[in-house]
Amino acid sequence: MIRLKGIKLVCAASFLTSIALLLLPFVFKLDGKTHADWQQFLGRFHPTVVHLPIGLLLLVPLLELAGRYRPALLEAAMFILSLSVLSCLLALVLGYLLAYGSGDAGAGVARHMWGAIALTIGALGCALLRSATGGPRSFYPYLLASVLVLLAWTAHQGGSLTHGNKYLTEFLPAPLKRFGMGTVQASAFPDSFYARHIHPIFDANCVVCHGAQKVKGNLRLDTYDRAMRGGEDGAVIIPGNPERSILWQRITLPPDHKKFMPSEGKPPLKPEQIAWIRAWILQGASPELKSLPGIYVREEETLPQVPDYSGKMTEIAETARSAGVTLVPVSRNLGDGLILNTVDAGQKFGDAQLAGLAPFAPYIVEAELGRTAVTDGCLPIVAKFTHLRALHLEETAVTGAGLSSLTQLPQLSYLNLSGTQVTAAAIAPLTTMKNLRHLYLYNTPAARQQP
Amino acid sequence: MKQHPLCTDPDHGPTIMDLPLAEGLKTEWAELETRRHFLGRAGKVLGWAALASLGGERMLTGDAHAANVVPSAQSLRLPHFAPKAKRAIYLFMSGGPPQMDLLDYKPNLSQLYDKDVPDSVRGAQQLTGMTAGQARFPIAPSHWAFKQYGKTDTWVSDLLPYTARMVDDLTIIKSTNTEAINHEPAIMLLNTGNMNAGKPCLGAWLSYGLGSMNDNLPTFVVLLSKVNPKENNQPVSSRLWSSGFLSSEYAGVAMRSSGDPVLYLSDPKGVNRDVRRKMLDAVNEINRQTSQELGDPETNSRISQYEMAYRMQASVPELTDVSREPQSTWDLYGPDAREPGTYAYNCLMARRMAERGVRYIQVYKRGWDVHADVTGMLPVLCQETDRATYALVTDLKRRGLLDDTLVIWGGEFGRTVYSQGGLTPENYGRDHHPRCFTTWMAGGGVRPGITFGETDDYSYNVVKDPVPVRDFNATVLHCLGIDHNKLTYKFQGLDQKLTGTTPASVVTNLLA
Repeated sequence: MIRLKGIKLVCAASFLTSIALLLLPFVFKLDGKTHADWQQFLGRFHPTVVHLPIGLLLLVPLLELAGRYRPALLEAAMFILSLSVLSCLLALVLGYLLAYGSGDAGAGVARHMWGAIALTIGALGCALLRSATGGPRSFYPYLLASVLVLLAWTAHQGGSLTHGNKYLTEFLPAPLKRFGMGTVQASAFPDSFYARHIHPIFDANCVVCHGAQKVKGNLRLDTYDRAMRGGEDGAVIIPGNPERSILWQRITLPPDHKKFMPSEGKPPLKPEQIAWIRAWILQGASPELKSLPGIYVREEETLPQVPDYSGKMTEIAETARSAGVTLVPVSRNLGDGLILNTVDAGQKFGDAQLAGLAPFAPYIVEAELGRTAVTDGCLPIVAKFTHLRALHLEETAVTGAGLSSLTQLPQLSYLNLSGTQVTAAAIAPLTTMKNLRHLYLYNTPAARQQP
Repeated sequence: MKQHPLCTDPDHGPTIMDLPLAEGLKTEWAELETRRHFLGRAGKVLGWAALASLGGERMLTGDAHAANVVPSAQSLRLPHFAPKAKRAIYLFMSGGPPQMDLLDYKPNLSQLYDKDVPDSVRGAQQLTGMTAGQARFPIAPSHWAFKQYGKTDTWVSDLLPYTARMVDDLTIIKSTNTEAINHEPAIMLLNTGNMNAGKPCLGAWLSYGLGSMNDNLPTFVVLLSKVNPKENNQPVSSRLWSSGFLSSEYAGVAMRSSGDPVLYLSDPKGVNRDVRRKMLDAVNEINRQTSQELGDPETNSRISQYEMAYRMQASVPELTDVSREPQSTWDLYGPDAREPGTYAYNCLMARRMAERGVRYIQVYKRGWDVHADVTGMLPVLCQETDRATYALVTDLKRRGLLDDTLVIWGGEFGRTVYSQGGLTPENYGRDHHPRCFTTWMAGGGVRPGITFGETDDYSYNVVKDPVPVRDFNATVLHCLGIDHNKLTYKFQGLDQKLTGTTPASVVTNLLA
């Protein structure tokens, strides 16, 4: 009789707790504003305490399984389950204090919060069900399983808040990455200085707290428009005036200053990054300017990779030898491609020999055909070198008829036609090639026709 | 009784070459055979024992496959990363050009004429014997005016009107510095990374690491420019283009400034190409036997050098035949270029070699050691070099070669701001100065139109971004796709490298 009463009491208390948890976000809204310091003080214990329910909850199924062989462990399971419910509650309260106190908001925070609430209620349900049925019976195992799935999801949301949502996938092996999500376009001008240099700084250093997942100080820096909109203190970027821009002020404070950004022990921005941000703001904080005078950013060029040919090395070497040429890798990274070197073959190398290399066309990134016997007939063959970046045709009989077929080569950035008979009309189609940055026409009719 | 296999007399059993051993071990065995030979073939058993100990050690260290004694360009698998430059041309101004008279503009010096260089600037520096005894160190401002040129507004001396036209293409380094104050150690340090002779030079490392780009010309060529007897010429010797402990096939092939570019390349009377071929085949056969017997890698380099010389009999005349050069070439390089052996001619040759797949070309111009009569000698030196240097860079650029060719200009050190010997308003001398000197690079891999590093108001000390020789060389290697820390060769118990044992770093701000 007393036992039944006890259970009823516990049931009622659990019900009320669940209601309270569900109402919490509506009573104390996460409004993106900071609140009392004591809330933040306690709240910052959340990351520590949160591991307690994780560990305890994971222990429960183990004990349940092991209890089949040692019944004493079944008793322990109930105890651990009760403890995990209590620790869930504690972690949840602390987590809420952290978010509420420090003014966190955003979709990620909300997901993590709702996950935690559902998780706590689920764990509570497990405990009730288990004590009512006196053991791991009825639909308790299914409920426990769903609680564990929820645990994994909620924990991942929490991890994404602290480490950023690319933390897990950043070093994912490339083949697996293909299945992952594409990156979000942050700017309408992917070639702009903002998109190439400023946004990546924000993305790597700021967006963890000022992004879609978590919005501190009501400021989001994950897109250009949001960055310009500013936060609770108004605009943080004043075009043309870095000194008055809160963003620049914060990143240039002494690192031990309370308002220094990035905060909470994250590494400060590098001096050159600060210089780029300053120059970018000073020159108007434009979303589309491609370069800033006086600012030079050395970019690690990532070469486009050619398909894998590592299995064909002997075949390639033999074909090249029989043609009297060499096909040498650009670097020890075979994906950088092959260079076709014809200097030893000279006039013995013509269109027919080039056609013989066609099986390896996608691997050749640089074709040195200067001073060989190739003619205009080589151009349709070269057009099949889909990964070609540089083409040397200097001092050959090429007249330029059919040069337009080279427009099929998207990566071609270097074309040397010096000492050939190409005319201005013949090279006209090349103007459509976006990547062709180096075109050499020394000693050609085309160069003489130009003013 | 069954004998232990290592104790049998090898004459009656399989030779070591028949055993299923790692190729590297066999090579090393062949080397050991040399020692056996020395002992008059008396130590066969000793030799087997040596192999056993060698094998044992290798098996313990698990290193048997890595035991390739003479790594080849293929086994090194270079470049380490995709390079910007495939080849390099080094214009070496032997003797030490005076930086403050050419590119390191110091406008304040004119007011300090004949004042002493402050002790605080000189510090406790040990000077050369040539000026250490001087009672005074009077400042000698540059005799020449400077003007700004190009989009980059770079200051260039009136002595270099042609260089001034291409400043936007140059990467000027004002803060190069060295530890050596005398010619031989300084020029050795620049070329080999070590003041003492015996180390491979930059060109040898490149030949060794990157291999040849063509069959008919050497990978590394040195062009010695004609000497002007009026200038103060310091000797340059083959130690500067030596391969050191690397196989001698990686050493530079020096071309002479007069007569046959390469001695004994033309066949003697009565010997035609067929006779030469037969003779070479016979000599090669003998060499191959020697190689099999002794396993000395130098025998193989000898074979390859003979073959190279044979091919050069055809390729060098073609290389030096400038009759088909268009008039625009002569307009650019100037009349000096028609005379074989001049600096201008060598610059033209450098371009022709670059076109023909020579990996590394070093042009030496001597005479920059202006201890006295700067106002008399410097205009001559600049007149000899300025136009041709400009012509080379411009020619490479218009022909599309500068994209993947790194051009380097520099000497072994700089010169003092104070006058050596008497200072008059008309003339002065300058002593060796290792603490700062100006060099420049252009082309593949480096960032055009910048000036890097700063010196103080006296062009005496580096005050910003110093570039020591080892960093300079590390940067050059980087442009050619080589990580200077990874291109090493084990010798005398050390993984030797061009940049030496003091940690060196690539100057990334110089890179494009």
